[in-house]
Amino acid sequence: MFRGDRIKPASAGSVSPIAFAYMLNAPAALLIAGLVVYPIGYSLWISLHRYNLKRPGTFPFVGLANYLDVFQASDFWHAFGVTVVFTALSVAGVLMVGTGIALVANESFHGRGLLRALILVPWAIPPVVNGLMWQWIFNSKVGAFNGLLYSLGLIDSYRSWLLEPTTAILVLVFAHVWNQAPFAAIVLLAGLQAIPGDLYDAARVDRAGAVQRFRRITIPWLLHPILIIMILQTIIAFRVFDIIYVMTGGGPGNSTTVLAWLAFQASFVGLDFGTGNTYAYVIAMCTLGLSIVYIQALYARGEIRQ
Amino acid sequence: MRSGNPHGRARIPWRSLGLYLAALVVSAYLLAPFAWLVLTSLMRESEALSVPPHWIPHDPTWANYRAFFWPDVTRQSASAQAIGSIGIYLRNSFAVASAVSVLNLVFGTMAAYALARLDFRGGRALLLFYLASRMVPAVAILIPLFLVMRFLDLLDSLLSLVLAYTTFTLPFTIWTLRSYFQTIPRDLEDAARVDRCGWLRMMRHVFLPVATPALVAAAMFAFMASWSEFLYAVIFTSTEASKTLTVAVSQFATEFYIEKTLMTAGGVLAVLPPLVLALIFQRLIVQGLVSGSVKG
Repeated sequence: MFRGDRIKPASAGSVSPIAFAYMLNAPAALLIAGLVVYPIGYSLWISLHRYNLKRPGTFPFVGLANYLDVFQASDFWHAFGVTVVFTALSVAGVLMVGTGIALVANESFHGRGLLRALILVPWAIPPVVNGLMWQWIFNSKVGAFNGLLYSLGLIDSYRSWLLEPTTAILVLVFAHVWNQAPFAAIVLLAGLQAIPGDLYDAARVDRAGAVQRFRRITIPWLLHPILIIMILQTIIAFRVFDIIYVMTGGGPGNSTTVLAWLAFQASFVGLDFGTGNTYAYVIAMCTLGLSIVYIQALYARGEIRQ
Repeated sequence: MRSGNPHGRARIPWRSLGLYLAALVVSAYLLAPFAWLVLTSLMRESEALSVPPHWIPHDPTWANYRAFFWPDVTRQSASAQAIGSIGIYLRNSFAVASAVSVLNLVFGTMAAYALARLDFRGGRALLLFYLASRMVPAVAILIPLFLVMRFLDLLDSLLSLVLAYTTFTLPFTIWTLRSYFQTIPRDLEDAARVDRCGWLRMMRHVFLPVATPALVAAAMFAFMASWSEFLYAVIFTSTEASKTLTVAVSQFATEFYIEKTLMTAGGVLAVLPPLVLALIFQRLIVQGLVSGSVKG
């Protein structure tokens, strides 16, 4: 769009405005080009070769062989399945818990400000520490969770939550949701505050019940934030790594081996960079589509205008 | 609206009782797990291992925190060696996160100013380029970046982390700064230009002071992201020269011989800086999360 108020920088000396603009962008653009764009290309290049540090000096071109190997391996499909299950449970959990927190924090009561501040506590905790914390809580011998259930009489003896396949993944989801739900709560709370109050008044006059008001007014008004949360959370959960490293190491067996963990293992334990890189590329491809939707959603909201 | 109460009986305020109950449950959910971590870190090892657990330390002690900085004396366990360097890891984390924040401010302000104020060919494409680079998952470029760092002989150096984190955080910084800069009236700069003041001086004395909230927010998000990062830190670093606190904490959690009280104290230590920042800058963070959706 043509803009009449186009101006020159306050003083660019003898440099033309356009050159000045590119000069200002050079450091950021070069860093990103060198440390993101080049590696992506390089990574694609590696994934087309056999590259194993255990066999130094050889780097044969194998075309799509790495991908074909990967897609035929049961390891991959198992990890893919675990990743999908983890992602689905996490996104659903984050949305539900986040909505619950936001609905409570939106009411007016004494101490509301304190509650809103508390929402930031789980958010500020680095995922690695989050993993450490929950691993300690779910400890099989001395953990607080076992202690709590035992003293409430809900279990007869302490259980090894992280050493049983089903409970291990559920504990991971629980820990991840605790860390991520505050983000959803904050975004949803902002959405709730933007709903005009007279909508609810009008609904009350029409004798709409609480559930109906929630379905007819609240949910439709929150659609956009919900969409943003779902997309971002899907991307984040699909790449989960930190808490897997700290809490389960992919186990027991391979029951919590997600794709990122598989990529890490193949590359830095198996020293097979070709295969590891292929796993990593699959993660990138799976989340790429969502990322595009996300950018478009931001476009639609007018975050990007020029 | 006043609801009549003709019989004079005390009405039980069910709605407000329910509300306070819900608020209590939510608060407990948000706080209890972390509170338990803090409480354990104030116990002695024997108390932390008691069954059933002691919720409140009977005899609270700072010994676990002291052990990090004055490794001594009464403790002879295998953990002693592992925890002796925690001061160094703490310093590494601070150095990396601070450097990333500063670089974000400098490079981010430059790029964002150009994108917000100078109407130049390719500006829109650059903005999309930055935005798209944010969508690349870290794990997808981990191996090539590792090889690049090895080639540059930067492995196990703080610089490798500073470069990587700066690159990952810049797009968000540029994006937030740009949208904030656009809200600043142009008259300010026009007035400065009349005074024949140079661009740098104009920025320093006129433009940037007005943009302070956005600059603080950007620096803080960059700091917190760098402080919490783990994947690159665990791959790039190997010795005291560059190991960060998150890597040390992950070792606390995965090596069984470390005392549980030291493990929890280390965890608390690693949480404190981002937690304090989050609580101080609560308003800025909420604004940032809502408008830009950080931590992507």
